[in-house]
Amino acid sequence: MKDVILTASFRKKFPGGPGIVADDLHIGGGITVLFGASGSGKTTILRCLAGLETPDDGKITFSNQVWFLKNGKVFLPPRKREVGFVPQDYALFPHLTVAGNISYGLQELPANERTARVTETLRWLGLDGLEHRLPHELSGGQQQRVALARAVVRRPKLLLLDEPLAALDTPTRLRLRGELRQLLRQLGIPTILVTHDRFEALALGDDVVVLHNGKNVQQGATAEVFSRPVNLAVAEITAVETIQPGKVLQVHDGLASIVVGSTQLTALAEDLPVGVSHAYACIRAEDVVLVRADEVQSSPRNRLSATVRVLVRDGPLVRAELDCGFLLTALLTEPACLELALEEGDQVFALVKASQLHLIPFTP
Amino acid sequence: MKTVKIIILMATFWLTIHVSMAASLTVFAAASLTDSLKQIAADYEKTSGDKIVFNFAASGTLARQIEAGAPADIFFAADETKADALEKKGLLVNGTRKSVLGNTLVIVTPAGAPAINSPAELTNAAVQHIALGELKTVPCGTYAKACLEKLQLWPAVEGKVVPCESVRTVLAAVESGNVDAGFVYKTDAAISNKVKVAYEVPAADAPKISYPLALVKDAPQPEAAGKFIAYLESDAAAVVFKKFGFLVLSSPSTK
Amino acid sequence: MSGAEWQLVGFSLRMALASLLLILPTGLALAWWLARTNWPGKALVETLVSLPLVLPPVVTGLLLLQLFGRRGPVGSWLHNTFNCDVVFTWRAVVIALAAMSLPLFVRAARTAFEEVDVKFEQLARTLGAGEWRVFFTITLPLAKRGVLAGTLLAFARALGEFGATIMVAGNIPGRTTTLPVAIYQAVENGEDAHAWTLASVSAVIAFAAVFVSERLQRQRK
Repeated sequence: MKDVILTASFRKKFPGGPGIVADDLHIGGGITVLFGASGSGKTTILRCLAGLETPDDGKITFSNQVWFLKNGKVFLPPRKREVGFVPQDYALFPHLTVAGNISYGLQELPANERTARVTETLRWLGLDGLEHRLPHELSGGQQQRVALARAVVRRPKLLLLDEPLAALDTPTRLRLRGELRQLLRQLGIPTILVTHDRFEALALGDDVVVLHNGKNVQQGATAEVFSRPVNLAVAEITAVETIQPGKVLQVHDGLASIVVGSTQLTALAEDLPVGVSHAYACIRAEDVVLVRADEVQSSPRNRLSATVRVLVRDGPLVRAELDCGFLLTALLTEPACLELALEEGDQVFALVKASQLHLIPFTP
Repeated sequence: MKTVKIIILMATFWLTIHVSMAASLTVFAAASLTDSLKQIAADYEKTSGDKIVFNFAASGTLARQIEAGAPADIFFAADETKADALEKKGLLVNGTRKSVLGNTLVIVTPAGAPAINSPAELTNAAVQHIALGELKTVPCGTYAKACLEKLQLWPAVEGKVVPCESVRTVLAAVESGNVDAGFVYKTDAAISNKVKVAYEVPAADAPKISYPLALVKDAPQPEAAGKFIAYLESDAAAVVFKKFGFLVLSSPSTK
Repeated sequence: MSGAEWQLVGFSLRMALASLLLILPTGLALAWWLARTNWPGKALVETLVSLPLVLPPVVTGLLLLQLFGRRGPVGSWLHNTFNCDVVFTWRAVVIALAAMSLPLFVRAARTAFEEVDVKFEQLARTLGAGEWRVFFTITLPLAKRGVLAGTLLAFARALGEFGATIMVAGNIPGRTTTLPVAIYQAVENGEDAHAWTLASVSAVIAFAAVFVSERLQRQRK
């Protein structure tokens, strides 16, 4: 993780709910994704960081500023925190034009500088010509960009985005995901982005913080967290498709042998504590390779004979449920499926690299 | 239009009088007679067995109500012109009208306020508000204006006048201290200890103040009313009136 | 209508407008306070503000008389410090009109503020706006219709105010006589035609104000 700029430990309870706990959150520069299922408290944490909600106790520090300290009764109001906040529904001021919305936060600048900045931001976000439109006259994608423009035009120190793509329809969302990543990288402002979509998290985040039941349970570089969930909860949240319990046979030369059902698998033993007897085998569907014939020599240590039980088509992708002694899910493209002439009932071989077989220890 | 007014006024009137007082006399009397008449009525009720119910207000207001058909037995005003108006409309029983009492006009000031020694001082800048009975309905106000006109002070003080609904309202205004002076009758000033009489208007400077008493046409209780009118003109009543400061005019034993 | 009658209408209109000068700042502050904050004792303030709507107007007039009379706490201070009288002057008219019409305005404005989604105010704060700026640039503009409707209602009520006015300002022709007081006086004096002329003017203005106010309130999203 890059240099830490924000640390936070706080909790907030809600009437009739469990509340949220931010347990030693560390946020660096770059784009950090707050990732979790809906209702896991992500938005609340974001709002506490923005100053729109007050935690019950704890501490929030940004750079050298204390934003919140319960015991010292410190609470820096939102307008002093220099954050840019974009809520899920954008909250564009309905009575102001696009230009009015964007320039709202620039009152302290002289008029000509204000106009220059607004024009520059409009152009950069592809909103030229829309200055005088009212929010309800804009498309979803345009509204999102105006909301973003409004937040960044003040050159904030921290950008907070709550499910920035959730309010858009699927094709727009996919198209804008790439654009958003580019925009955020160009901006270079430390950003915290909330999402429940793991593809968004993977696409947009340098680092990810996984939330479960209102508490952060793992944080780190995105690829790291997604490929090495530290426990079952994180694995499930990051939606690893195949999670099967197994018995650890032996650990030798950095490799671990594990039996799932009646199938023996090989995995890297790196994070496995000494003396562990049982572990979950976690395999991502996109990490499973399917082959027809057995002849070709290949590198993956795990070579499983499998029967295709179900094929589910989902746009350009096909999800295959395989029976190889245990239920294994594989993800392949439609063209690949056609090439292999896959059909339900076929016998195939599923290849999984040892490094992509992740083990999470458990006590039975 | 007239019918609507009658209905409204009658409803108002009946609401303000206890319905329980079924067999009783209704007397419409000028506000300045409030305390004296109440005492006289109390004495009368003991001996006669009749009940007297009063409606005290400015004489003009009472006349309007009678014109609109309010069920009064007796009309006792502070100003002859009000009785004239009713007589012209045939609302008073002929031959029953008599001028019974006189009164004196006084200028009062709030107790504790700077003294005013003559009407001329009413033109001083220190005097900002003068309470007077409303000219069209309150005889005391008309008398006061006539007096001020006679003294050629009216143009100077006209702008300071605060019109009030009845002579008792004038008294209350002076008592509250919200006005600097007011014109009431000597009999009104006498019952209040929150005002002091600054100046008594001599009879020469004021118009003749005369209180007419009459039986109302279509009175609900004409016989009982006639008896009470006789009592009002008797010596027994005269004693009470004099005690309160009235000048008794047509009592048979007045010298 | 005669010149004197027009002058009367003009006077009443001027007094009602002047009362708005008292009502708007006080009413906006109260309405915002009641809509956006929560604290023990809030119910008491709500009740006090609504009281003039339900109390007999003469009772409100009585209370004002006690306060602003020359011997009252406020009146005596004004009289001694500025040689300024309230009772029996146009100032009493304005105060009476304001006291009686304030509750109507506060109710309408409060509802209007409550209907403004706080999310806009919160977002404005993240953009650096202080509370006054949030109020004047976000809350008030978004509550425009309801506030305007409330203003019209208060204006109409002020034009029709009688009980409190007559108690505390009296009925001094040319100085404190408002339209309703003049109508009452005309009826008392048996001047029917005069009374009906004034009553018609009063009715027309009231009708127009309430009509527009209702339309504004119904057109809110």
